[in-house]
Amino acid sequence: MNSLEVRDLESGYGEVKVLWGLNLDVRKGQLTTILGSNGSGKTTFLRTVMGIINPWNGNIKFNGEDVTKLSTHQKAEKGIIMVPEGRLVFPEMSVYENLEMGAYTKRGREKFDDSLEFVVSLFPRLKERFNQKAGTLSGGEQQMLAIARGLMSRPDLFILDEPSLGLAPKLVIEVFETINKLREQGLTMLLVEQNVHLSLAITDYVYVLSEGRIKMEGKGEELAESDEIRKAYLGV
Amino acid sequence: MNAEVLIDSIISGLLLGLVYGLAAIGLNLIWGVMKVINLSHGAFIALGMFSIWILYTSFGIFPYIGIIMILGLGLVLGIITYFGALHRVIDAPELSTLLATFSVSLIIIGFGTFIFKTNPKALDFSLGGIEAGSIVILGTKVATGVISIIFTVLLYAFLYKTRPGKAIRAVSMNRTAAELMGINSSLILALSFGIGIALAMVAGALIATIFPFTILSGGGYELKSFVICVLGGLGSPIGALVGGITLGLIESVVTLGIQTSFVPVLEFALLVAILVLKPSGLLGGK
Ligand SMILES: Nc1ncnc2c1ncn2[C@@H]1O[C@H](COP(=O)(O)OP(=O)(O)OP(=O)(O)O)[C@@H](O)[C@H]1O
Ligand SMILES: [Mg+2]
Repeated sequence: MNSLEVRDLESGYGEVKVLWGLNLDVRKGQLTTILGSNGSGKTTFLRTVMGIINPWNGNIKFNGEDVTKLSTHQKAEKGIIMVPEGRLVFPEMSVYENLEMGAYTKRGREKFDDSLEFVVSLFPRLKERFNQKAGTLSGGEQQMLAIARGLMSRPDLFILDEPSLGLAPKLVIEVFETINKLREQGLTMLLVEQNVHLSLAITDYVYVLSEGRIKMEGKGEELAESDEIRKAYLGV
Repeated sequence: MNAEVLIDSIISGLLLGLVYGLAAIGLNLIWGVMKVINLSHGAFIALGMFSIWILYTSFGIFPYIGIIMILGLGLVLGIITYFGALHRVIDAPELSTLLATFSVSLIIIGFGTFIFKTNPKALDFSLGGIEAGSIVILGTKVATGVISIIFTVLLYAFLYKTRPGKAIRAVSMNRTAAELMGINSSLILALSFGIGIALAMVAGALIATIFPFTILSGGGYELKSFVICVLGGLGSPIGALVGGITLGLIESVVTLGIQTSFVPVLEFALLVAILVLKPSGLLGGK
């Protein structure tokens, strides 16, 4: 059963086409990862899936329903939640208020107390900083908050755009451990990453994106063995 | 100049400053959330003046009840204006939104001039005065100051304590992130514009309980709002209130020495001086 089904997706900015007909599936309960070098179109793809930029062509199905034309907040209300590149926490709001905004959707609001307990158990450090303004958190803490904020809306499909970007190695590991924990709990996730080693280790299925096209796909462990991947990304 | 005249001007300036501040908060909110410079601000202030005048002279509605009705009217007009004039150009470069709000201003002033002509009106209404020695403070001025504070506090509570208020703040900080959380940002922008317009109209109505006015009076108060936003720094309602009080005081004390007609000159000079010396606003941190 697929959570997300993307067919022939094209989009871009102004006159410039970035995505050239992408096909991608995210299976329920699995962690799907998109790998690709800088500028290959990973963020553009996620932004198109979320409706932040409009698709030029193709369609997007979520839980079997066509959501191609829905706006971003409607998709969030349906349970597609993205932690964007660069975190984008609300800087002038307290950590607690950020979590409240995470629970803005109907599904989030109904389960606020449970979700709060859950994200605090994932990131105990956030609790000590409930009243601190999010803009004054360290980069790592902001990433934790962005993930926690996303989880507060009780996602059905959780999308993460380079959550380990710019973090110290120890925090990178922490982020991946968190993702793995969520995966073990059965959360459906779509992850964009540059950290090939760590992603391949925990991923169920991988797509490799290059110049706006899917260049390769396969099971995580299979691609980890693939010569092409090793050459292109692992430098071995 | 004796001490009593000075004290009188200071109190007067303080009370007027509060309502100038309230008007500026409307402008400030629209800028803060939407990044739109609302050139119809003055026209809506004038509309507030005429609304209270009609409610009072034609329907006999007590002005401070009328103000509540004008708040509702402003909210509705603001939301309609947003969807009619701004929604389609909100993501376009600033010039488009400037032109859009300027057009709205021209439409309001045009119809207003046609209906009301440009001769001055005044609200024939008094709350008496508070006397202390030879100083008399008009009751309407006191009421205006107090009501302005109440509205500011209510807005603050709305923005910080309620769900839609928090959504407004979230959209002002990052519209995309807010959408990703499930917030319908177009509705929030419409609501913010509605609140901004409602505050401008209420401020206009309050000013009309003190001074005579014409359909063109809004322009002068719009200028004051811009100066206050620059004084207080763009951002917080409290900053705008403090900026308002500062301008009110400067105005009323300085006019003891110079002619009233020089006030706009002074305000423009102040605006330019602050923009040159401290562009983030005298009180603005960032
Ligand atoms: N807002 C924009 N306007 C115009 N072009 C853009 C915009 N954002 C991205 N692009 C272009 O689209 C292409 C794909 O960018 P995208 O951000 O999707 O890459 P990415 O795979 O996410 O890269 P990274 O790993 O660096 O985040 C790039 O050539 C980029 O220059
Ligand atoms: Mg990217």
